Amino acid sequence: MATLLYSASLNDCIARWREDGLMVFGPSTAGGVSGFREVEDAGSLDLDLVLTRSTLKELFFPRTEPMLGYRIGKQQIETEEFIPPEGRRIIFGVRPCDAAGMQVDDALFDWDYHDAYWFRRRDSSVIFSIACTHSDAFCMCTSLGLAPDSTKGSDVLLRPLAAGNGWKVEALTERGENALSSISSLLKEGGDAPAPLTDVPVKFDLEACRRWLADPENFESRFWKEISERCIGCGSCTYLCPTCHCFDIQDEGDTYQGVRRKNWDSCSFSLFTMHTSGHNPRATQSARWRQRIMHKFNYFSLKFNVNSCTGCGRCTRECPVDMGVTETLQAISTLQR
Amino acid sequence: MSEVFEPKIVAFVCTYCTYAGADLAGTSRLKYPSNVRIVRLPCTGRISPMFILKALQKGADGVLVSGCHPGDCHFDHGNYHARRRWTVFNSLLQFAGVPEERVKFSWISAAEGIKFAELIREITEDIRKIGPFEEYHKLIAETGSAAPL
Amino acid sequence: MSIQEHYRSRAKELLSSGTVKMVIGYGTGSTPDRRRPVFITSPDETDRLVLDKACRTNLSGYLLREGLLSDQKQVAVFFNLDGVRSLNILAAESQLETAQVLVLGFRIEGEEVTALQGERAADFKSLIAAAKEQRKSQPPHELQEKLEAMTPKERFSFWEAEFSRCIKCYACRQACPMCWCRRCVVDNNQPQWVNTSSHTLGNLEWNLLRAFHLAGRCVECGNCSRACPADIPLHLLNRRMSDEVQGSFDHYPGMDEAQEPVLASFRKDDPETFIL
Repeated sequence: MATLLYSASLNDCIARWREDGLMVFGPSTAGGVSGFREVEDAGSLDLDLVLTRSTLKELFFPRTEPMLGYRIGKQQIETEEFIPPEGRRIIFGVRPCDAAGMQVDDALFDWDYHDAYWFRRRDSSVIFSIACTHSDAFCMCTSLGLAPDSTKGSDVLLRPLAAGNGWKVEALTERGENALSSISSLLKEGGDAPAPLTDVPVKFDLEACRRWLADPENFESRFWKEISERCIGCGSCTYLCPTCHCFDIQDEGDTYQGVRRKNWDSCSFSLFTMHTSGHNPRATQSARWRQRIMHKFNYFSLKFNVNSCTGCGRCTRECPVDMGVTETLQAISTLQR
Repeated sequence: MSEVFEPKIVAFVCTYCTYAGADLAGTSRLKYPSNVRIVRLPCTGRISPMFILKALQKGADGVLVSGCHPGDCHFDHGNYHARRRWTVFNSLLQFAGVPEERVKFSWISAAEGIKFAELIREITEDIRKIGPFEEYHKLIAETGSAAPL
Repeated sequence: MSIQEHYRSRAKELLSSGTVKMVIGYGTGSTPDRRRPVFITSPDETDRLVLDKACRTNLSGYLLREGLLSDQKQVAVFFNLDGVRSLNILAAESQLETAQVLVLGFRIEGEEVTALQGERAADFKSLIAAAKEQRKSQPPHELQEKLEAMTPKERFSFWEAEFSRCIKCYACRQACPMCWCRRCVVDNNQPQWVNTSSHTLGNLEWNLLRAFHLAGRCVECGNCSRACPADIPLHLLNRRMSDEVQGSFDHYPGMDEAQEPVLASFRKDDPETFIL
């Protein structure tokens, strides 16, 4: 026997949560583009998508957010600190790879500085992940040591039932248990069979890749230029990555008033490392692509003992020139032999 | 009774013709609404469309761009270049949904103080009729930085 | 012989004879329906070249890669007619010499891919002239017509919704062969004309500015719209700009390498219906 949530009750769950003052977010599509948006009912949810176009991270680390405002008057200077709203949120229908990305960035945002913007939102959100019964040609979680039913970063894991009429429910954290207790009357007990998970083939040998990346001999390898020759230097792979977390701080305004904002930034941009002097330590696109791969699979894992990639495959899926992490790591795997 | 809406209008003008025209309007004691803020530039050829976007970004309800009549440019052909730019940018603004009353272009010579005063009256009235540029102001408000105009 | 075979052997010839040092073309992608740009430098690798109806990307931007053309050697590139036009514009804007570029021309019509006659940018003059005439009579774009029929308020909210999705990844700019500035105006902060933040206002300013900078230069290759991860119909803005420069100034971008840029030239009798 296991705890079950039938799809037919989902609408009531959402209503219950909303009555309790929670905001409910989930995958939905607007203007043809899927992402996590606030929903009022189950009908607005797009739970059949393999993955949303944009990632879960946007709900925790928005692409632009105000940090402080200033106004300089004749007599005094006023400042105002913007602190993200604390409203409690249920995020329903997250894929395990996106949820795992949260845990990767937890490590980063709690490293040399505790990022209140990130953690305020983390602490007030409950993540309901749904294990994957479908995948596409770009999915590669298994290559990163994850699986279609990984629990990392999730508060509740839902396993689809074979009949397609609901999910087997498993609370993973206290936050998850609390969120479930408020809808306990809508949950059922039953022995319904779960649907088989999708089979995501392993695409590269991660450990072999990491060994190659860790070898200083390979830093200046011709490989980097060859693999990234067609990279156009846009930021779509980084901005659609569930773990990329680089940001820039920009002042918008003038001498008398304005707002200091935290904006996404991307290591793909030539300006990312440009010095005031005009010197750019990462002068070429291949150096920038190398940095992205090295950061994800070498530096980040050395520092935090976790890879900064969860295998969602969005970098390849959305790349205008069909590049991505998968191809690069596959090629490195081949270099090994 | 509600207060009369006083639109904020930014005018980018060339120094040789329209600015001198505005000056003439002043010295001739012609009255025109004080809603316009004049920004003087060397030539209409110097007026980038970015200036117009900046004025809107700072909360303007209307923008006027004005310079010497064709053939009268102090630099011979700055206004001919400007004219092509205006044609294209005006078309873009309209396609983007900026009402045509809000961004206006004109030729006003140093001798046309009367035309300047009349035009400012006309533009101010037209914008007063359609009201504040609320659609744009909403976007400005979302940025969290209040318009200083 | 299929067009793909034809061009594979032509590429092999060009590389083995040393006529060109590189062939920029299309290869298979990570899924069967995808094509990706490939850079072939050895005659033994020309079998990697693919040419079919999925080859849509305009490759001319790659010619401006730092140092690629600085040795005066030639490069062959697969181009459809839009690509050739963008090549002409890049030459007109002094970004390259067409003498260094060998065109492997093709045209996609429905399912069919055919070769274009000629190998130098100038060889396609009459085809481009015909395309110019054709554009004048092309059927109106459905969504564009719908937009034109709206009130300004409705149009503004249409674009507001579209631009609100922009994430400022600059894929449109990076994919665009005409965006060759070493430093884009949005990357300048002294002065900072447009907001760099990706709020709707900043996104609107960025997209309008980009459309303006492409007016009379855009060949409507579609790279920007295809690259946009937020599916913003950027081509509509560019299309409207192209309509304007063709209607007002009879300017069709990329006719030849001597063509004057439309916003860097003028006629004393240019139309001015809207100037007070």
